[in-house]
Amino acid sequence: MKLKTKLAVWACKASGAVLRRLGRGGTNLPGKIALRIDPDILGELSRGVKVTVVTGTNGKTTTARMIEQAFVDAGLKYFSNKSGANLLTGIIAVFAQHCTLSGRCPYSHALIECDEAAFRKTSEHLPVECLVVNNIFRDQLDRFGEITHTLHAIRDGITHIPDATLCLNADCSLTASLALQVPNKIVWFGVNVPIYENTAQELSDAPYCIRCKTEYQYDYTTYGHLGGFSCPHCGYRRREPQVAVTQVLKTGPDSSDILLDLFGHVHEVHVNLPGGYNIYNAAAAAAAARIIGIEEETAITALGQFECGFGRAEQFTLGQAQARMMLVKNPAGFNQVINLISHDEGCCKLAFLLNDRFADGTDISWIWDVDFEALAAQQARFTRILVSGVRADDMALRLKYAGFVSDRIEVIRTYEELLDAVGADETPAFLMPSYTAMFELRGEIGKHTDVKAFYE
Amino acid sequence: MELHICHLYPDILNLYGDRGNIFTMKRRLEARRIGVQIDECSIGQPLDVDKYDLFFIGGGQDFEQEVLLRDLAGGKGRDIRTAVEDEKVFLAICGGYQMLGQYYKTWDGSQMDFIGAINVHTIGAKERMIGNYMFRTTPESSGSVIVGFENHSGKTYLGEDVAPLGMVLKGFGNNGEDHTEGARCKNVFATYSHGPLLPKNPALCDFILQTALERKYDTCEPLGPLDDTLENSAHDYMEHRLMHG
Repeated sequence: MKLKTKLAVWACKASGAVLRRLGRGGTNLPGKIALRIDPDILGELSRGVKVTVVTGTNGKTTTARMIEQAFVDAGLKYFSNKSGANLLTGIIAVFAQHCTLSGRCPYSHALIECDEAAFRKTSEHLPVECLVVNNIFRDQLDRFGEITHTLHAIRDGITHIPDATLCLNADCSLTASLALQVPNKIVWFGVNVPIYENTAQELSDAPYCIRCKTEYQYDYTTYGHLGGFSCPHCGYRRREPQVAVTQVLKTGPDSSDILLDLFGHVHEVHVNLPGGYNIYNAAAAAAAARIIGIEEETAITALGQFECGFGRAEQFTLGQAQARMMLVKNPAGFNQVINLISHDEGCCKLAFLLNDRFADGTDISWIWDVDFEALAAQQARFTRILVSGVRADDMALRLKYAGFVSDRIEVIRTYEELLDAVGADETPAFLMPSYTAMFELRGEIGKHTDVKAFYE
Repeated sequence: MELHICHLYPDILNLYGDRGNIFTMKRRLEARRIGVQIDECSIGQPLDVDKYDLFFIGGGQDFEQEVLLRDLAGGKGRDIRTAVEDEKVFLAICGGYQMLGQYYKTWDGSQMDFIGAINVHTIGAKERMIGNYMFRTTPESSGSVIVGFENHSGKTYLGEDVAPLGMVLKGFGNNGEDHTEGARCKNVFATYSHGPLLPKNPALCDFILQTALERKYDTCEPLGPLDDTLENSAHDYMEHRLMHG
């Protein structure tokens, strides 16, 4: 091990420890310091480690937690980047944290969720065994530019890892196109049937063929632009997935039950999180677990046992109410949460928390592409409609135009007051925060109850 | 009274929340008991310009631009030029704004010819102009302060006969150089304020609707006030933030 790598590891560990002591979850600064000392630190530290990477727009964290449960159940000696530290510097810090002071990594496996744009650079240094690409949707265009830029970043990243098995969403025409120009082994996952009967009204993020720009035809859609696409002009079409959801047995407010065909063996699977998007995540995770060599039974049972947290249908008791926190980051994800709420029954409170900090995306225009109209159509069963966050006023206005009665929209300026409102009576609540609002709200909840800090 | 609105290329020019403008026009007309009919017209569909009083064009991604240019070249570009000449009202945003102009030249020199309905042209720059911004429209375009979000790498320059929609107060505007923002020519309202421009700028929305009504009905009463409490809160929040940090 080179001296400068050791130095980088020490600097990274020490600065990380100081930040944690200060009670700050700084996960990027230590990595930045390490990278400055040794630009090739990630390559050095990950040598010999079998790395699984999860990237894509929506579902990275959830899919990683599902795979992680399989790792745990299989008894693998692994580590992962839990805290949403998914940029190059954060990933470096996680590797440094899990190395000895001499820079040796005692783990056989690493499970890494990686930001789409950061994947291009990150994959240069990582011995990736399995890469999962969940999906590609419009997200943070102020940062990513066009949706095709996201696609290109991932494609460039894949060129660095020709030996990795790619685990790709067969239903996403953008993601599936990653298979077109690479030598990698591909495992396809997908959903063979529609998930909900009535779904949110959505704009497609990819109406035209990625190869020849002819409008796609669809046999069926599941959500967004996902489904049985085919191009009538050039013939580019959905591939039959080896890991396929063949039937959706039940979708509930807490979980789903599906039939999953896993390389020819059909299992009845309980997915421990609600929502159609988590059905996709489950298929992806099962596929990845098998690629890594985990037993079929273990891969399946993990899906019914994993816990996610961090705003992914995370449950809290707030005052007198049970609340479920659903992180919302972009139209596709938000529409999925709306599908989930509108297929639920009974009274509940809704709380929308919108920030426009860097990690949220500074442009909040996308809320006008979300189908809040589907919620407005059921507004009689929502006892309170609460709005908060830096851009609460814009969210309130969006809800008004969706058809919510203006007078019922309550703009609440502090999280403390918001939590009081949520907990004031027993009616359950759905909390829908943007990314940084999720951390802030968890922080506020943590003052009253026991909530894990995000860097734990 | 009734306005017929045509939403051009809604499936492509919808980069981020552009349809918020359609929602807003519809709702503000309905609140005044003015009829409104909205049609969509996209690739391959013929455009009957005579039928419409007001056209909306949003912003899009480069990926679909080829499909779009092919469709415009197939006759729709000419139809749009005719409608502009005929003083039909247009609201064009971001990519739609550029498209109404003469051409787009990329920073490495290749040129794409656009509709040429208004005398502006756009030169690609390497640096994107991104962020919340603010401008004041000229008295001919409502004379109000507009808050919005811009995200463009093209720098647009106004030619003869084309006035700016307004002057930049904070941000870049047309090109980051001459403080102009957007374009006004005949009854075209064009701007870089992308996505949902109208919801929190109700004065501009009403001005555009009024323009369309006056063109159609010669004389028409000024539009009555509405309860804009939420609209103004969203507007004032961003205006305050841009002015005072």
